[in-house]
Amino acid sequence: MEMTFTRRAFLGGATALAVWPSDLWGAAKKGAKKRNPLPPDLTSLWEKPDGTATDNVMVRRMYLDIAGRIPTEREAQDYVHSKNPAKREALVMKLLESKDFVDYWTMRFCDILRVKSEFPINLWPNAVYVYHARIRSFVESGETWEHFGRALLTSQGSDFRDAEVNFFRATDRRNPEGWAEAAAQTFLGISPADLDRKRKTSFADCLSNVRIKNTREWKEEIVYVDGSDRRPELCDMIFLQNRQAVADAFLMRLRRWIFGPSAPVKSAADSKITGVRGALREIMLSPEYARGSVTGGFPARRLDAEILDDAFCSLSGATRNYQSPAPEPFSFLPPERQTVCIEDGSISSGFLSLFGRPARDTGLTDERGGDVTAKQRLYLFNSGDIHRKLGKLAVPQWKMADGSINPYYKNTPMPKRADGIYWRILSRSPSEYERKVIVNMWRKRSNGGKNRRANHGEMMRDVAWSLINTKEFLFRI
Amino acid sequence: MRPAKSVIEIWLWGGPSQLETFDPKPNASRDYNGGLKSIPTNVRGTELHEWWPRLAGCADLYSIIRSMTHRQFGHETATYLMQTGRLPGGGEVFPALGTVIAQAKRREYKGDLPPSVILTRPKGRFSEVGFLGVEAAPLVTGGRPNAPRFAVDGIVPPDGITSQRAKERFELLSKLDLWHPKKGVNATLVSEFDIAGSEARRIAEGDAAKVFDLSAEPSALRDEYGRNDIGQSMLAARRLVEYGVPYVTVNLSGWDSHKRHFETMKRKSGETDAAVATLLKDLKGKGLLDSTIVWMGGEFGRTPKVGWEAPWNGGRNHYAKCFSTLVAGGGFKGGCVVGESDETASVPVSRPVSPQDFIGSIYELCGIDPEGPLPNNVGKKLPILPPSTGGGRLKEIYA
Repeated sequence: MEMTFTRRAFLGGATALAVWPSDLWGAAKKGAKKRNPLPPDLTSLWEKPDGTATDNVMVRRMYLDIAGRIPTEREAQDYVHSKNPAKREALVMKLLESKDFVDYWTMRFCDILRVKSEFPINLWPNAVYVYHARIRSFVESGETWEHFGRALLTSQGSDFRDAEVNFFRATDRRNPEGWAEAAAQTFLGISPADLDRKRKTSFADCLSNVRIKNTREWKEEIVYVDGSDRRPELCDMIFLQNRQAVADAFLMRLRRWIFGPSAPVKSAADSKITGVRGALREIMLSPEYARGSVTGGFPARRLDAEILDDAFCSLSGATRNYQSPAPEPFSFLPPERQTVCIEDGSISSGFLSLFGRPARDTGLTDERGGDVTAKQRLYLFNSGDIHRKLGKLAVPQWKMADGSINPYYKNTPMPKRADGIYWRILSRSPSEYERKVIVNMWRKRSNGGKNRRANHGEMMRDVAWSLINTKEFLFRI
Repeated sequence: MRPAKSVIEIWLWGGPSQLETFDPKPNASRDYNGGLKSIPTNVRGTELHEWWPRLAGCADLYSIIRSMTHRQFGHETATYLMQTGRLPGGGEVFPALGTVIAQAKRREYKGDLPPSVILTRPKGRFSEVGFLGVEAAPLVTGGRPNAPRFAVDGIVPPDGITSQRAKERFELLSKLDLWHPKKGVNATLVSEFDIAGSEARRIAEGDAAKVFDLSAEPSALRDEYGRNDIGQSMLAARRLVEYGVPYVTVNLSGWDSHKRHFETMKRKSGETDAAVATLLKDLKGKGLLDSTIVWMGGEFGRTPKVGWEAPWNGGRNHYAKCFSTLVAGGGFKGGCVVGESDETASVPVSRPVSPQDFIGSIYELCGIDPEGPLPNNVGKKLPILPPSTGGGRLKEIYA
């Protein structure tokens, strides 16, 4: 029944078959008696002979790491076809100035600062939004990690108006020991389990006069100091006495986010503590970042849950359906709001949990899950959600909103279709081998063109399904 | 006594009222019982609220705990407590008992489906896996069990994907998934990806998916469970246990009845009563009840005194000092009542049962030492459960 419906809805019928290029059919027919082509060595698609990544890989890598999204077809092609010898530097700078960079890296820092409304952090929504805005401003403005850190550690006031005080609220233990652990973890990269007692005690002593009280406003809290304020002393302990450790921890955190947990340790030169943009620029322009991922040793990693969700929405035109369960009554996010822009860690979905979005409970970097599991693969293979999103690929326009050719349109010639799908999903054109695989499958389905009921849209959705299930799509390589 | 093989958790999200379930107070005033009555059960001396007639007819199969107690009145904290036996804090987020039991039984479990399955939605606002991470995450079915075809996310192909088309898709995928470093840092990643893919295909293409084909059950039995998502979820839970899944959770929402409590409870009770009673009888009939623990409850109960005034208009709010749960099978005796509450179900007057007592009993009957070590990725020696704050485990109802 459903097959009939699908065909009725999307079948191009005779018209579609009529525009199928005859030469390609000929090639397919000639190949009909041959065995399927063996996959050739396609390393050159991803890596140059010198072991560095190709332009196609680099453009995708930079968009994913800096802007937190896959590039559009146009963006990828602009980069790949550019003759500018300094195009990598140009793109890094352009992306570092983009809103997408600010959104994505704000999300990353919200993870470690535990920005969530509910259990076990319990910031509650008003505070979440002001704290998120403050973290966003830190990322956007180029403020140094030290300046930002001092602002957090010496803050006082209302959680609704003085955003930085939420550092003291965003811990599961709101007492001097809990804050000492949070400060050590955030700025020195020392987890509570590894924090030595002496240091914990000295940090906690400086925080012993910090208090939190309620007001008559629901969920408003005031952070204040009752007695002498020794927090500047704590800041000096952290940012002066342990300056190199802070600089190293900041740099290593970024490097682990980019290169994964096995990122080689690097020390920050001259104990320099920068902002996010400056540190990232250095990483993105390093030779290390340009290595190939097949033999060059560049570590691949699975895409973040939020990036994947946004990618499926941007590829299919689907919208999102996020809502906040707190405070009641529920509030609903606009369907077009990107997932990386969701401020509140308490707003989530089954998809995000499945793909390892951190709960923001501990602030530890490894809270974000990068594993690949059978349940994730099942979801991508068979879930109704993915099926619905792929179903939206068959939009009835010849050209997309950005002027590029719509590869899913029924009358788009086959080579353009394959090219379009590849550029859109993998940021590159297909190799000859890949084109042949697709053409052969179509030939098989349409019985060499005799079966006029063979469904073009269905075929292209199946190609798209295959591509979103490849390692090349699911990993940043 | 042999340890229980499986557990079915029926989670009544929101906090069901103790008075309109297992601890009715027919002699209290209308301000407490809403003017409603209790009914006798097939166990002499035990009564249930009048809205649970089917369960009243099989009270010999389960036991009731009327003296559950803790001090957490917020949904998330109370859920965390009831699911982990702990209060938040200390820098770790602990896994729920379902995840712990599923992981503990992983080695003896031979099925292809994950060892923990949730019907049909996660609790939300709470992480079942805690610090154990995504690898320990339960399979969440999604879909509607009462639909003509229970489309379990990821396992049952969506409508329109025939077996031929699925085969062709995988053929395409195998030919187009070409990025494949054979050595170096990415080779391990590729290997994990491929193993996960093989496992996923084995689940989707093997017998495991048939577990969710509820049409294989006799129509009369499906009717008895109730032709609604609650009833058919219970049926799916029985099939999952029959298959061998160690921990099955059925999350039922909508029990947070601050306003118009009685209308809500009457509606929710009817479907749940039929479904749970049929589940217990069905498990018994198939010889599975002795090896399967069934427990039902929520994070707390509800305020004994009814809020008749606006804006509640006959509502009950959160209440954790005294509430009720149900346990059956897997080493728990049937036909017993543990603990007693006062005349308005406001406080336990005998045998207080803490969340640690309750969870610890389930662990114990599953053959898991509650004081034993909990594997974790935070490098700490942690017991599965902290010391109890109540009257001890439920040994009086161990079979």
